[in-house]
Amino acid sequence: MSYQERSDQDLVRLCLRNDERAARELVERFQRPVFSLVYRMVRDRELAEDLTQEVFVRTFNNLRRYDRSYKFSSWLFKIAYNLTVDHLRKKQVKTISMHGAPDAVTAERQEATSLTLESREESPAALVEGRELAGYLEDAIAELRPEYRTAILLRHVEGRAYEEISDIMGVPLGTVKTYIFRARRELRDLLEDLRDEDDVS
Amino acid sequence: MNANKHDKVRHLRPEELEALAMPGDRKLSARSSAHAVDCARCLKEAEELRALHSLLQALAPLQPMVGFSDRVMRRVRLPVSWRVRVLETIRAHWVSTTAALAGVVAAVGVGFTFIARYPELTPLTVAAFIVERSTALLWGAVMDVGRLVYGTGIVQTAEGIAGQLTLLTAFVAVATVTLVGLASLRIMLSLMDVPAGSRPANAG
Repeated sequence: MSYQERSDQDLVRLCLRNDERAARELVERFQRPVFSLVYRMVRDRELAEDLTQEVFVRTFNNLRRYDRSYKFSSWLFKIAYNLTVDHLRKKQVKTISMHGAPDAVTAERQEATSLTLESREESPAALVEGRELAGYLEDAIAELRPEYRTAILLRHVEGRAYEEISDIMGVPLGTVKTYIFRARRELRDLLEDLRDEDDVS
Repeated sequence: MNANKHDKVRHLRPEELEALAMPGDRKLSARSSAHAVDCARCLKEAEELRALHSLLQALAPLQPMVGFSDRVMRRVRLPVSWRVRVLETIRAHWVSTTAALAGVVAAVGVGFTFIARYPELTPLTVAAFIVERSTALLWGAVMDVGRLVYGTGIVQTAEGIAGQLTLLTAFVAVATVTLVGLASLRIMLSLMDVPAGSRPANAG
């Protein structure tokens, strides 16, 4: 059986037998979702890469402490969430536009901190409209509180169940539902405001 | 038509709206499904939720830079069990391990040969001989160290200091040692790399 076909738990077992290929497979399997979550929290590509690297390093260096009664992905996301929230608290980073960090004064720095969206096979008009909408959405997500942002991204983008999100964020199930309910309401309001602002300008 | 004043329209709860708007494992009850068909407010909310969900699902996937997994693997140190560590050590140092094993086998062989040659020697007499010799050697070493220490004058100095000790100086000494110990412990804990999220909070 190839490494790609193995479950996360199998790969963890192999990692505990010093199988580096199993560890690499886990990194490749989860780098995208972890990076996506971390990036949308900190809004700086270089920083998101550093933090994501740190998440994986801490995960593997402490693999003995992983409780196999929980999903590996939940544990990994929990480490990512805690590390990112700790960083945000220390730096008191507020939400940032998708067009780059506020302290980006050079073109290189702006590009390093801005979000690059992939394009799909669409007509130019649809592409422009799609990009505009995606831009509004990314800006709206950036305006949410970190807890709301994490909860809604885990629910709608990563497709995690409420119980999993509760484990990841370390809050009761009711609190997760509240976060997601409020995040949805705020996103709807923010999207309308952003569209109205753009129409006016 | 007599409307019961206690009858209230119960609109769909957030999780029911989610079941309606986002396909998944959760199903609506028959009552909730019937309500959803007729209630404009719930249908509107479900449609808004569906639209938001589609937008979020369509968010562009983000990838770290090329070579990310290589950079991670350079820093990762997989924890291994003691059995794996022993096997790895033996594999890495097989020459010295083999030599050590050969030495042990040789010593055991010599021992057995010796015992076979002198059958009057029992394991108990051999053990007693070893214990007696070891005790004599250890006691001799302790006496030699004691003579050396006494010869340097440390013992007389310590006796002099003990004579000067008062309750206050003893208390200050204990308090100072305790504070230094606590400060060292604090520094050590702050230097330890304790990862976040070592265990999910809820049992699920």
